[in-house]
Amino acid sequence: MKTYVKLIRIDLMLALRDKSVLFFNYLFPLFFFFAFTALMDVAFVVSMVLTLGILGNGLFGAGMRLVQERDNNILRRFKVAPISPTPILVASTVTGWLLYLPAVVLVLGLSLLYGMPLPDRLWDLFLIISIGLFAFRSIGLILASVANSVQEVNILIQLFYVPMLFLSGALFPLTFLPAWLQMFAQYIPATYLTIGIQGVLLKGEGILENLVPALALALTLLLGLFISGKLFRWEKEEKVRMASKLWVVAVLAPFLLMGTYQLYSQEQIRKAKVLYRSMQRADVVLIRGARIFVGDGEVIESGSVLIREGRISRVFPDERPEAGEYQASLLEAPGKTLLPGLIDAHVHLLSPGLISGTAEAIEFEDLMRRSLASHLYCGVTGVHSFADPVATAVSLRGMIEDGAFLGAELFVSGPMFTTEGGHGAKAFDALPEALRTIALREFLRLPATPADARQQVRSLHAQGVDSIKAVLDAGWSETLMNRMDLSILTAVSEEAASLGLPLRVHTGDARDVEDAVAANAAVIEHGSSRNQIPESTFGAMRSRRVRYIPTLSVLEAVVGLGQGDDSLLRRSLALQVADRSMLEATRVGMRTELEEPVRAAIAAGDVLSQGKENLNRAFESGVRLVAGSDAGNLFVLHGPSLHRELQLWVEAGVPPREALKAATSEAAQLLGAGDRIGLIRPGYEATLLLVDGDPTTEISATERISDVFFKGERVNRSALFKQ
Amino acid sequence: MSGETAPTKIEPAAVVPEHDAFGPDSEIYIRVRGLSKNYGEFQAVADVSFEVFAGEVFGLLGPNGAGKTTTVEILEGLRTRSEGEVSVLGFDPDSQSRELKNQIGVTLQSTNLPDKIRVSEAVELFSSFYTSALDGGELLERLQLSDKSSSYFGQLSGGQKQRLVLALSLINDPRVLFLDEPTAGLDPHARHEIHSLIDALRAERRTVLLTTHYIEEAEKLCDRVAIIDNGRIIAQGTPRQIQKKTLGDALLEISCANPVYADFPSLDHVERHEFTEDRRNLTIITRSPARTLVDIVKWIDGQGIELTDVNLKKPSLEDVFIELTGRSLRE
Repeated sequence: MKTYVKLIRIDLMLALRDKSVLFFNYLFPLFFFFAFTALMDVAFVVSMVLTLGILGNGLFGAGMRLVQERDNNILRRFKVAPISPTPILVASTVTGWLLYLPAVVLVLGLSLLYGMPLPDRLWDLFLIISIGLFAFRSIGLILASVANSVQEVNILIQLFYVPMLFLSGALFPLTFLPAWLQMFAQYIPATYLTIGIQGVLLKGEGILENLVPALALALTLLLGLFISGKLFRWEKEEKVRMASKLWVVAVLAPFLLMGTYQLYSQEQIRKAKVLYRSMQRADVVLIRGARIFVGDGEVIESGSVLIREGRISRVFPDERPEAGEYQASLLEAPGKTLLPGLIDAHVHLLSPGLISGTAEAIEFEDLMRRSLASHLYCGVTGVHSFADPVATAVSLRGMIEDGAFLGAELFVSGPMFTTEGGHGAKAFDALPEALRTIALREFLRLPATPADARQQVRSLHAQGVDSIKAVLDAGWSETLMNRMDLSILTAVSEEAASLGLPLRVHTGDARDVEDAVAANAAVIEHGSSRNQIPESTFGAMRSRRVRYIPTLSVLEAVVGLGQGDDSLLRRSLALQVADRSMLEATRVGMRTELEEPVRAAIAAGDVLSQGKENLNRAFESGVRLVAGSDAGNLFVLHGPSLHRELQLWVEAGVPPREALKAATSEAAQLLGAGDRIGLIRPGYEATLLLVDGDPTTEISATERISDVFFKGERVNRSALFKQ
Repeated sequence: MSGETAPTKIEPAAVVPEHDAFGPDSEIYIRVRGLSKNYGEFQAVADVSFEVFAGEVFGLLGPNGAGKTTTVEILEGLRTRSEGEVSVLGFDPDSQSRELKNQIGVTLQSTNLPDKIRVSEAVELFSSFYTSALDGGELLERLQLSDKSSSYFGQLSGGQKQRLVLALSLINDPRVLFLDEPTAGLDPHARHEIHSLIDALRAERRTVLLTTHYIEEAEKLCDRVAIIDNGRIIAQGTPRQIQKKTLGDALLEISCANPVYADFPSLDHVERHEFTEDRRNLTIITRSPARTLVDIVKWIDGQGIELTDVNLKKPSLEDVFIELTGRSLRE
């Protein structure tokens, strides 16, 4: 023990007398810190400087020193004393660690001055840094053990150091690299170190969330010490055989395994994206001089909004704040209107609203990702999806939440409750048996009894849905379908209520609306496009606070389809978000392939006028309105159609401010997120839409999108579809 | 020789020393028998055997590359041997190197300490390696390094460095010391200091095995010497014994004005003789220089040849080396 203590003490003294040690451990990181804090997020720079320091201290500190001492015949003198390599190696490792700790304190102290608070989980950061440093020290020792000269170890270290630096995500986010390099990076120990440090600094994670990388680093440390002990050479005359150099591979074995596992799981790549997103979301931006539609109907004619750490930090009603005062980047917005991000409360993500034009099967997830990207592109920052595959939808919801994928925030109801031969189910009747089974499982629930219904609701709840959707629709003479038994609807409703899930009921006509309200629906979807909803029903809706989502867009689409009018596909936003070949296929197909739906559409007649009239009367009756487009139906495109929906509302006699309210704060409240989105207020998420012009007087101005912010990130809209 | 009559621990084949202090009653601290070390095809040490007795200063004398360092490093436990038996203080340096290293002191031929280590730190550090250690301060004082104790190793002169190295080798109070070329590269003054220190070690009855390529060092410091060349011991014993054994008592050099063509007479005290090519110069090795001189002078005079010079020399170890190898030690 006294040997260890003495060796560490003297190693430390020698290191502190070495100017290059002081330079690389303490001054070099400072240089990086000051150079990059001017350009990048402080937390990212801190992670960069820490990784850089650990790599340098580990590889160069441990590796070069040992070889130099061997080359200078210093180790020889130790060899004639009764001492094994172990204390020398352990002392080198501990010394490096002790030397590095002040650098950590230094960098964290400086970051405090730059406004980055100390990480919540300081102890976890300390652990990750320590394990990382020990691991890289031991890699350095291995390199020293297999190198035959100072020149050789220098080359070896550079071979490790440079790729580790550039590919680990320490200098720039991993997501900037091409996909194959990102995969390659998963074989590099430094990647795990960087992601661990960034996890703590950017996401407030702890060691437990980084347990696997931490264990891999710890294993490297043990293997490294063990093997370098075995390969230890006291004298330069003892050369190491070429084959022994393969021991380096043994030390990297944990990472070869990890990398291969990552090829399969992609966990780290996802995490890298999340970390990058966290950085993007942490930007400080001042939007100055915009008209502000607050979300609750209020308008600030010229105000400013400060975004910080993903949230609205301040709202300035009249004054003109200086961006410099808040270290914010400035976005001048006179003549523009800032709104809370729009919400489309009724979409079907799996279907693009177009004819695909190709027989190729496309993954559920890819289709849904594209729809979500389209929404966000159009400033629709939140959507509630129906009848989408629940597992995929729940997973996507998580990816959007943590930033692995950039798209509209997703609320999920999963499969919809209907009945054999009912709306939704009928469409699958024509499918081959195998496909039909899948379709029924993924998209529908067909409870035969109230008990079935309750059980199915509970099961969806367990899968994490945000609401339950049921269908109450008998169709009309041309397209009759079976209507759900009311006892089953009641069972669904009661079970959903007991689990705190809002029940959203699709209705076909006024009777359906009346029955759905009676069954305690939270929302009426569609209402009636076939007949007038009586005043008494609206009265009941108002008094029971049942919301109404009229989905006029889908009615307009039906009319257009019946008339052979494809003007919905020629609108600006539609041309921007829709796949060109699909647009073409739809224009052709609507005339040739779609006989049945088109005939149905023609038979449906002027459903839009009926829908508008019901909306107008609901509004006049004081029913709470929420905007939803039913995107995913043919001609109803994800994103553009919500803008169109609002225009149809205004045509129906709803004032623009009320329409916008229905697409922001009202929708947010319906989705149970009214305390964090849908309003421009301090503390709310900075999920915003900035448009040219004034949609509070001219509703179509919402289509003139200037900028979209999502959880604080200024969205690069044109890159959304390349994810 | 006394060894023939008294019971002895020494094997019959071993060379029995004539030196007074190290008779058969002395304990053998270092025993080497049939030691060989091969590096691939190259044989660095070939069938080397010798013994070092307790309290003896034993020298391995030979030119650079003769195998001296390889031999001592095998004894120190630094290198493994290819063949042979070796024991130091009863330990096998191969299998018991840790125990052995704890009890011996070593100075290596080419070694270093970190430039920025202080003298006192080096002593402190090396003390910590051994189960028991002498007081560092006293040791430095003994080696006249007290005033340098806070200097960096890199700031010391060559002699001071060598004294520190000696101090480190003494730190565990070893009974056996291996000093590999302790004075190589030092100036005469520093060399003299080291010689005094080695004499002091002898006075303390420490056993010393030193290697050197300086004849005077071996003659002056060593109780016994083994001369080693090309990995083989070519002579061993006290310096005096070696000289006698190899070259007899004296060397007679005779120069004549004219070539001597007559056959050399048969003289039983002459060991060997040699003419130069021109047959004007004659070298004779003899056990009885006075008688030989008289006989040879008569013999040359009898041929009517004029003697131009006569030299009588006592042979040195250098002559022994030249005699045995045909080369000078310093070549």
